[in-house]
Amino acid sequence: MGMTASLKYYWNVKVTGQPFLYWQRRQAERYPRIPSRWRMDILSPPLRIGARTKELISRHYLEGRYASGHRPVAWVTSGGPVEILQALGFYVLYPENHGALCGVRGAVVELSGMAENAGYSTDICSYARTDIGSVLSGKTPVGHLPKPDLLLACTNICQTVLYWYRVLARHFEVPLILIDTPFVYTKVSDHALGYVKKQLENSISISEQVAGCRLDYRHLKQIIRLSKDATELWQEIISRGRHQPAPISVFDQFIHMAPIVEMRGKKETVYFYAELLRELDENIAKGKGAVRNERKRLLWDNLPIWYRLRYLAEYLGEHGICVVSSTYTNAWGELASLMNSEKPLESIARTYISPILNQGTKYKLDTMKRMVKEFQLDGVILHSDRSCKPYSIGQIDQRNKLIQEFGIPALLLEADHDDPRAYADEQVASRLASFVEMLDD
Amino acid sequence: MAITTIPHRRDVIKDIKNRGGLVAAVLPIHYSRALLRAFDIFPIELWGPPKVDVSLGGAHLQSYVCSIVHNALSFLKMGELNVASLILIPHTCDSLQGLTSVLMDMIKPEQTIFPLYLPRGQREEDVVFLVDELQALYAHFSDFTGKYPTNEELLTAIKREELSDLLLLKLHKNRQQMGLSNIDFYRLVRSREYLSAEHFAALAENALQVTGETAGGIPVILSGILPEPMKMLDVISKMKGQVVADDLACCGRRLYQPGTSREPFRRMAERIIYAPPDPTRGNSIAERAEYLIEMARNSGAKGIIFYEVKFCEPELFDLPNLRNCLKEQGLASINIEVDINNLLPHQIATRIGAFLEMLDS
Repeated sequence: MGMTASLKYYWNVKVTGQPFLYWQRRQAERYPRIPSRWRMDILSPPLRIGARTKELISRHYLEGRYASGHRPVAWVTSGGPVEILQALGFYVLYPENHGALCGVRGAVVELSGMAENAGYSTDICSYARTDIGSVLSGKTPVGHLPKPDLLLACTNICQTVLYWYRVLARHFEVPLILIDTPFVYTKVSDHALGYVKKQLENSISISEQVAGCRLDYRHLKQIIRLSKDATELWQEIISRGRHQPAPISVFDQFIHMAPIVEMRGKKETVYFYAELLRELDENIAKGKGAVRNERKRLLWDNLPIWYRLRYLAEYLGEHGICVVSSTYTNAWGELASLMNSEKPLESIARTYISPILNQGTKYKLDTMKRMVKEFQLDGVILHSDRSCKPYSIGQIDQRNKLIQEFGIPALLLEADHDDPRAYADEQVASRLASFVEMLDD
Repeated sequence: MAITTIPHRRDVIKDIKNRGGLVAAVLPIHYSRALLRAFDIFPIELWGPPKVDVSLGGAHLQSYVCSIVHNALSFLKMGELNVASLILIPHTCDSLQGLTSVLMDMIKPEQTIFPLYLPRGQREEDVVFLVDELQALYAHFSDFTGKYPTNEELLTAIKREELSDLLLLKLHKNRQQMGLSNIDFYRLVRSREYLSAEHFAALAENALQVTGETAGGIPVILSGILPEPMKMLDVISKMKGQVVADDLACCGRRLYQPGTSREPFRRMAERIIYAPPDPTRGNSIAERAEYLIEMARNSGAKGIIFYEVKFCEPELFDLPNLRNCLKEQGLASINIEVDINNLLPHQIATRIGAFLEMLDS
């Protein structure tokens, strides 16, 4: 790693950047400003933690901006086993989170268009198109993304990531580590677990070579503990949605889930979620709900529609509907019990083979049924996400079973998590209107 | 060779049933035929048969799932798979994975569903995993049939398939000397999807003895999953094109080499893992490009037709880089996307025609 890059990193990140972001956050906490367009009549003011979320995310991307040359950089799929890389000092970037950020900031059509102009079909995942467009053009709403020294693709969320990362590997000409996690149709087999563990073991030498240092297992255990702590806290946070009124909606969860995805294994993530939990508990004590007049409670299935978060929150809020839980945000918490720092590689293997997306459609249906009961829900919205086949295939039967066998209203909403061109405003509005009417019947 | 000598799929199934055999419907792409045959189970492959009532599949699958998966499910719902006692679904892509899960958890057809996870790498751990996976499948088949084939029986079955696969390879290599039209050649090689190894071997040996006048034409390679609707092959012929090699998932990507190991499961696993490059088994874009370029060099192809099924991510992701690599080597290519359920649109015929004309000039 180079001296100049390190000096630049310390000056821009440690000396000027981070203190500035800290000051900015403190200002926002001292003098909270509610966005002028915020519908205060239907939604409670934004959570105070929002200022800290902004600081954390900005710090993450600021570090990324100056990471190249100072520390090794890895691009990792969102469900990837990141703990080994964290322990080796990698700066870790998640292109999917970057894609989500592009979705929220309305940059997807432009970036994706660049990938499409280069020959990538509109039928492939919009996160991938956005990322490839950003890589090809160098454009990103966060200013600059560091070039990876290593890529890690884990198939526990989809096979798409492997195709996508093969494109990145070819573009950047850097090693690609594959952690292939066999799909769990019924239960995790011993040989599948052994296979994942073996790949993790083999990934260490490649990662060490790129990082230029040896893996310290004590440090790895510490990172796993921090990952587990943060994951447990996240699980606690989303479980607060059981209260009526719910102190946090899934739209808030979507925004505040970035650290659990991008910054697992870090102390600041644990502090952050402890703080968020404190705020929610305060709000519960005050009887303050995310939706002011909560009358109905829903479950959201699948990824968010990043470019319509506000619209959906307000539309539903207007009708006194709070979406209090989601299979997606739950997925980032439900694996906490599998993490065990005393058995690092074995527990990483078991954890990362078990996400909801790597399990059968019955597992998701059972999860939804359990959540409907636990959160006392009145209905379910299943976002049929054109870009995410593993999450979406099975939803038609899941919806039918929720309605027929469980007697709960369920709506299938066709869209795409990142690409607004696959979203029909009027169609969604009319389907939502009918659903809301049905909930009131 | 009269192409009429190739028996129809329905007749083959009828014959198996008459002899009291078990039929397995097998979905794309890679699996071990030998493992099934060792249990006296006859694999009949299901590559999304066209001309089905797609609304039946549509009742369970979204419109952005590919037509191969839609059609396979529709075919099952139409009762056309009632002849099969089991369905084997290799883990080829997210859509087939989803279909397997929907079948096992939601639809629960009469047939037993057997998934097979194919590893995405060509590393030693991938081979070891596939060995374990095939052994697990062996145990499931034993439970299902009450049979326990020995290692020797497994090796006999493997060698029978290897012989047949060698003949298949020879057919591919000799295709330009056999005087068969594009469509007749593919009718012949695709009969491997449902004929037993012995039956196919006899057919292939006969075909290889016949030499005919080379049809000639502009030499092209066909890449993609499958040449459906098959009429497309006639279109290529009519436009004076000749398919001289292919990188089709149902054909060229399954030219498995004979194994070497004496351990039957390892031999089965190695044959699959070291087959020609395939995006669904995780081969890199560089490997695929190199393979295609070599294929073009050996066959004299002037260009490549990427004939893709709509929504097929494994194929679509590699395309831009592959096409650029080919271009650098002076090889032209065209990308055509189809829904196998549709009749071949005139527009596609026109595009193929224009591409071939361009190659000719």
